[in-house]
Amino acid sequence: MNIVKKPGLSITNIILFISIGILVIFVAFPVLLILFNAFFGGGTLNVKDIVSVVSNPETYQALLNSVFIASGTTLFSTIVGTFFAWLVTRTDLPFKGFMKIVFLVPFMLPSFIGAIAWKMLLNPRAGYINRFFMDTLGFSDPVFNIYSYLGMMLVETMYLFPFVFIQVSGALERMDPTLEESARISGAGLFTITRKITIPLVLPSVISGALLIMLYSMAHFGTVAVLGMEHGIFNIPTLIYEKIHASAGNFQSIRTATVLASVLIISAACIIWLQRKVLGSGKYQIIGGKSFRPVELKLRGLRYPLLFICLGYIAFTILLPTLTIFLVGGLKTYGLPFTMENLSLANYHFVLFEWQLTKDAIFNSVTLGFAAAVITMFAGVMISYVLVKMKVRGKGILEFLGVLPFSVPGSVIALGVILAWSGKFGINLYNTVWIILVAYIARYMAFSLQANKAALSQVHDSLMEAAQACGATMGQTLKDIVLPLVRPGMLSAFFLIFLPALRELTVSVMLYSPATRTLGVAIYTLNEDGETVYSAALAGIALIIIVLGQLFIKKVLGAKQQ
Amino acid sequence: MKHSIKAVLVLLAAVFLSAEIASAAKQKLIVYTSMKESLISSLKADFVKKNPDIDMDYQSAGAGKLMAKIATEKESGKIMADIIWTSEVPDFYQMKNDGILIKYKPQGSDQTINPLVGTDDYFRPARLGTLGIVYNTREIKTAPKTWKDLLNKEYKGAYSIANPALSGTSYVSVAMLQQVFGDQYFRDLRKNGAKVGKGSGQVVDDTASGELAASLGVDYITFDKIDKGATLAIAYPKEILMIPSPIAILKDTKSLPAAKKFIDYMMSKDAQQIVANNATLPVRKDVAVPTKYNLPSVDDAQKNGIKVDYVKMMSEKEARVKSFLDIMQK
Repeated sequence: MNIVKKPGLSITNIILFISIGILVIFVAFPVLLILFNAFFGGGTLNVKDIVSVVSNPETYQALLNSVFIASGTTLFSTIVGTFFAWLVTRTDLPFKGFMKIVFLVPFMLPSFIGAIAWKMLLNPRAGYINRFFMDTLGFSDPVFNIYSYLGMMLVETMYLFPFVFIQVSGALERMDPTLEESARISGAGLFTITRKITIPLVLPSVISGALLIMLYSMAHFGTVAVLGMEHGIFNIPTLIYEKIHASAGNFQSIRTATVLASVLIISAACIIWLQRKVLGSGKYQIIGGKSFRPVELKLRGLRYPLLFICLGYIAFTILLPTLTIFLVGGLKTYGLPFTMENLSLANYHFVLFEWQLTKDAIFNSVTLGFAAAVITMFAGVMISYVLVKMKVRGKGILEFLGVLPFSVPGSVIALGVILAWSGKFGINLYNTVWIILVAYIARYMAFSLQANKAALSQVHDSLMEAAQACGATMGQTLKDIVLPLVRPGMLSAFFLIFLPALRELTVSVMLYSPATRTLGVAIYTLNEDGETVYSAALAGIALIIIVLGQLFIKKVLGAKQQ
Repeated sequence: MKHSIKAVLVLLAAVFLSAEIASAAKQKLIVYTSMKESLISSLKADFVKKNPDIDMDYQSAGAGKLMAKIATEKESGKIMADIIWTSEVPDFYQMKNDGILIKYKPQGSDQTINPLVGTDDYFRPARLGTLGIVYNTREIKTAPKTWKDLLNKEYKGAYSIANPALSGTSYVSVAMLQQVFGDQYFRDLRKNGAKVGKGSGQVVDDTASGELAASLGVDYITFDKIDKGATLAIAYPKEILMIPSPIAILKDTKSLPAAKKFIDYMMSKDAQQIVANNATLPVRKDVAVPTKYNLPSVDDAQKNGIKVDYVKMMSEKEARVKSFLDIMQK
């Protein structure tokens, strides 16, 4: 970060060099090792193995499931996220500022914890909601079976839609309102303005958010692991997980996993290609820093009903599962009714103060998340600068490499990291906390790039050109113009990484060792081991840490920003 | 902002380092085990109290997970665990063949029962686990008597077996049931809506919640929950599923004296009493199981337990797990 302050040096070259270095070491190398292992596992090109893995109906079905669940999740999330984003930025919905924060809350609830809660609420025979309908309201059948494709899509949507919400509401806010105003003055109606001005301007954000969800969901482990696996519904990540355990101790299975992962890498490449195709047609730059109040749509009689819908949505998708987690976490043992004599704080006390496993897990996740977020935030802004502002050949490859880890299942990133950093190439990080950190950097680079690129593309070249025309050096321009303008992007990158990393599961479940369990691993394995009440208690504590972390960071960084 | 972040990073590095230095003084012992927290933590507490110079840490996870971890560790050149203790007996024959175990005859081993053959002191059982039909007494009023009772309609869509890919006890018990009743038994179960669960603990907890009416459950996991108030009971059909849980020292250990002490301890009367108090059969006949637990007696379990060829099971695992999952997940 000091390099920007050194005048005279060819800063652009240094930035370019470092950017390529970071991506190659942390991202490209492990991913290439995965591909290499998949295709040349035995030393030579092994087509037979690959064909037999891919043509296996099990693999095929898992791939279809991945695509199907991801498509449904993306569709629902995009609708929900865009609608709520529009409501809080472009209408006169009451308590908009408050609602804007409220819609970011689902982002705090890890989807696998959500899935565990929904399993408790909506499993067909004993789910609390289903039991309520059957026992109290006399229904003969359960109202909803959470162990279904729709169940998984809805659960993922509940916790993933903020990806779209953040992107779209950000774009709607930063969008230059004079564009719409001029259209209005020229006599265009609301529909024409929306169609010709607003939608084209916001579409890149919608698509970029939807793409994030598509990639995330395809490679998503937690929800399908909790809700699908027992009922024969596998996607690629859960199948990899299952494969590895099915042939205990067989390193061949890790190779099979790399073949499966390669299928996902290729699918991801296709999605990214498609996105570039869609976005390639138009480039929109909106000068940041200017701020007008956009015209708000008057909801009139719908104001309070819509507010009620928003609050109801949050109550149902966030409060209810959270409450369930906290209540179950208080039970003596799972399955007891929620009566006063069955509830206590004993489990919370146990996981917080007595159980070494859970105490370590909390410490590990907080430190790992913070370190990964800080490192990746700075690396991301640098690489984004190359991608957005520098006209260099081959930056498409850089961009692809940067988004790649996001599209590869965490479990396979973990495999790539094991292959790369377990001593074969001189450095052995295996079984240390550092290997998880390295994997997190690779995994979350895409988050940081997305946020920083969005922020940087809002900085018009004219601002930098103006600075340089006035005699500023490149370093001064970066320091005085670019960095202040992209700081919100960096901050959002930090949040986008720190909070997910705090409750991350997919990567760490493959990399943990006795001393390096993470919070996500602890919660998931306790649930898998049938320690449901401890798992819920720890999940409850995780939620408290996440919320406090968010508030604390917002407060500290928010104060410094002003 | 940047300065404070740098400061925090330095602090983080310092914390990681100091944590590693602090643990270097004592002898470090790492146990990989599939035993649940309730059992392993009480054993650890007692062992550490008796051996204050040993710093024991354990990783409690399903046998499949532990073996996968050992496999990747082997690949990376260093196995981290000093002791392995799971219920997946075939793994131990495999590890013995692979030459990654150390031969050791613990003190007091002549006092213990070893139903396994050909262990050659490379490994020996540290407890005898049993599995039965765990059922929710709110749902099932008459205790099941035979394994075939699970084909009745009161268990329809509500019986589950832990995933043999994740759980060693589940794999061995599936192999035992298959040997006696054949694959047809699983097909019939599947026809009655039986499912594959996750870990061996989860099926029991799901039975406690009523999500399942019954499951194939492990003794001490079930009784731990019964002790906490769960409306569960466990029934043992005539063909008993008794699975020894072997313990062994891994060759790569850097703390051999500590590892030996732990094996000695596990064969001692004190440790076996803790095992028995946790509702699982001890390997010493001079230790009694509390009467509130309706476990079969050791003699009964040895007499009526289904006998299997563990060496054969070793090579068959992948195929057998696959054929089981193919039946149960279709």
